[in-house]
Amino acid sequence: MSSERPKLGPDIPKVITGWLSASGRVVYLTKDRSWSEDLADAEVLSGPGALEVLAWASKDQTRATDPYFMQVTPDGKVAGRETIRETIRAKGPTNHPMFGKQAGNN
Amino acid sequence: MYRYDEFDETLVRERAKQFRGQVERRLKGELKEENFKPLRLQNGVYLQLHAYMFRIAIPYGQLSSKKMRQLAMIADKYDKGYGHFTTRQNIQFNWIKLAEIPDALEDLADVEMHAIQTSGNCIRNVTSDHLAGAAFDELEDPRPWCEIIRQWSTFHPEFSSLPRKFKIAVTAATPDRAAVKVHDIGLLMKKNAAGETGFEVLVGGGLGRTPYIGLTIRDWVSKQDLLSYLEANMRVYNRHGRRDNKYKARIKILVNELGEAEYRRQVEEEFANQNAWEKVVLPQEEVDRITAYFAPPKFETLAAKSAALDAAIAADRHFARWTKNNLRAHKIPGYTAVHIALKPQGVAPGDASSAQMRVAADIAEKYGFDDIRVAHEQDLVVPHVKLDDVPAVYAALKAADMHASNAGLGSDLIACPGLDYCNLSNARSISVANEIQALFADPDFEDEVGTLHINISGCINACGHHHVGHIGILGVDKKGEEFYQILFGGRADEKATIGEIQGPGLRHEEVAPALKRVISRYMELRASKTEKLADTMDRLGQAPFKEALYASA
Repeated sequence: MSSERPKLGPDIPKVITGWLSASGRVVYLTKDRSWSEDLADAEVLSGPGALEVLAWASKDQTRATDPYFMQVTPDGKVAGRETIRETIRAKGPTNHPMFGKQAGNN
Repeated sequence: MYRYDEFDETLVRERAKQFRGQVERRLKGELKEENFKPLRLQNGVYLQLHAYMFRIAIPYGQLSSKKMRQLAMIADKYDKGYGHFTTRQNIQFNWIKLAEIPDALEDLADVEMHAIQTSGNCIRNVTSDHLAGAAFDELEDPRPWCEIIRQWSTFHPEFSSLPRKFKIAVTAATPDRAAVKVHDIGLLMKKNAAGETGFEVLVGGGLGRTPYIGLTIRDWVSKQDLLSYLEANMRVYNRHGRRDNKYKARIKILVNELGEAEYRRQVEEEFANQNAWEKVVLPQEEVDRITAYFAPPKFETLAAKSAALDAAIAADRHFARWTKNNLRAHKIPGYTAVHIALKPQGVAPGDASSAQMRVAADIAEKYGFDDIRVAHEQDLVVPHVKLDDVPAVYAALKAADMHASNAGLGSDLIACPGLDYCNLSNARSISVANEIQALFADPDFEDEVGTLHINISGCINACGHHHVGHIGILGVDKKGEEFYQILFGGRADEKATIGEIQGPGLRHEEVAPALKRVISRYMELRASKTEKLADTMDRLGQAPFKEALYASA
């Protein structure tokens, strides 16, 4: 019933992820404040300033919905206790390799 | 099948138009997500892991060929060519774009369909026995009462903001194929001492975080009083249901916190004190009008046995196996109900491609009085087929790879979408389901095991009904790893029981091997080939099976 994500401390590297409002595609916030479908484009955040970026992202609702922090390694790879979930979000369903970003047709 | 009148059609079309405006406002930034979310949910639109998910209502699981073909069209036009039939007898599409959902709603309106009552804290899609109107063991057809409840509950202002979602199921048969004892309200049609048909009213059943079996709050209520009595229940729930804690908001918590006797007292008091003008008394002509939509089709007078079918069975052992497992007894001689198991090896349970939907539609149109049902086990049923036509139906199913001959067996398992799709899930369900299905890849072995219900949920919300599987599997997250707790002894029928968690969770790759050991132990210990696992466990206790479960884990 809960879709709340785990709280990440300020020192944990993180990116901001959400869904494009019109299509529902999974996206990541980039350094130039656009939304990319490729995790590799995401800005890795850390420190207390990350909260301000999340607050900004939360107001960008016309473009993206329900943004939240997602844990990554310092070089931007999926990490932490939600690795399975976020890997599936980034690639697509494991039972349907023909669908999702892994198949280039999300 | 119930047909819309001009008012129904206008309402559904206006609703689609209204949602188009709401979507446009959302995408222009005029509506914030927190304001839009309740509106989209009321139109069956969720945001899942990869995309929006669109859930379409199939009242009591009944479809015509025309409706099924429209669902296939929607799968092709707006989604990825497939849909997922759910345990609420609905269908959902996993990849739809928000901007296109108003178009899909208009397409649905063309065939008298919609997404009303598929989400939100309202009375949800009323479910029923997938063999309703066909079953030899039913008292009478429960679908008119499902439809009456649907009409009464849809847009009822007192039920538009309940403490939580509310699920009602109706059956008129024993055995119970609609799992009425694990619903917020379960209605079992039965006769009273005077021989009149009415309803036993069970309240407070449910699965999820806190599973309960429903309690009989009224042993019998007349048809005339049904809606008033349901309304009395809803008022007590609305009055006392917890709105401060969503985990305690379902009526099952209220019934158990108040206690059965006090809950019953309050409902009876409410029922007795309803003013005459408040009573929802259906004119008999209205009951008759609705019932007429569910009149039996024009069955032919046929012999109870079919020589053509018997010859085909004798000629093909695969067909013979399919007929043994996938046909259900019909109340009319010479007819049968055909169970189309959407559970071939390696496919997500409940998934059907648009091509398969069209095959089901063609079969129903040609051989089945244009009637298709969705079973809560995530399968399809063509409820009225002549025995003589069964070989042709099988051939059509086989050509579309829809001839899995496993209805009710180990590989016909119930599984939620799990972490591959669901935003709430903790662990994958489909991949575990597929590994378990592989245990039954040998049809002879699966037959030898016999009836076995395995249910899997990817989280505690229990959309995969894990509490009531003979073997239940619950996916949990343990510090970022998927683990699976195993339950034994559950069942969803008239002897509904909540399964018991056996012990520590197993890793993903350990589940299927562990179940293989349990099934082997069951086959060693069962008293006969017809004794179900749940019955063997009742007889011997769960210890031998628990020992097998953890034997080399």
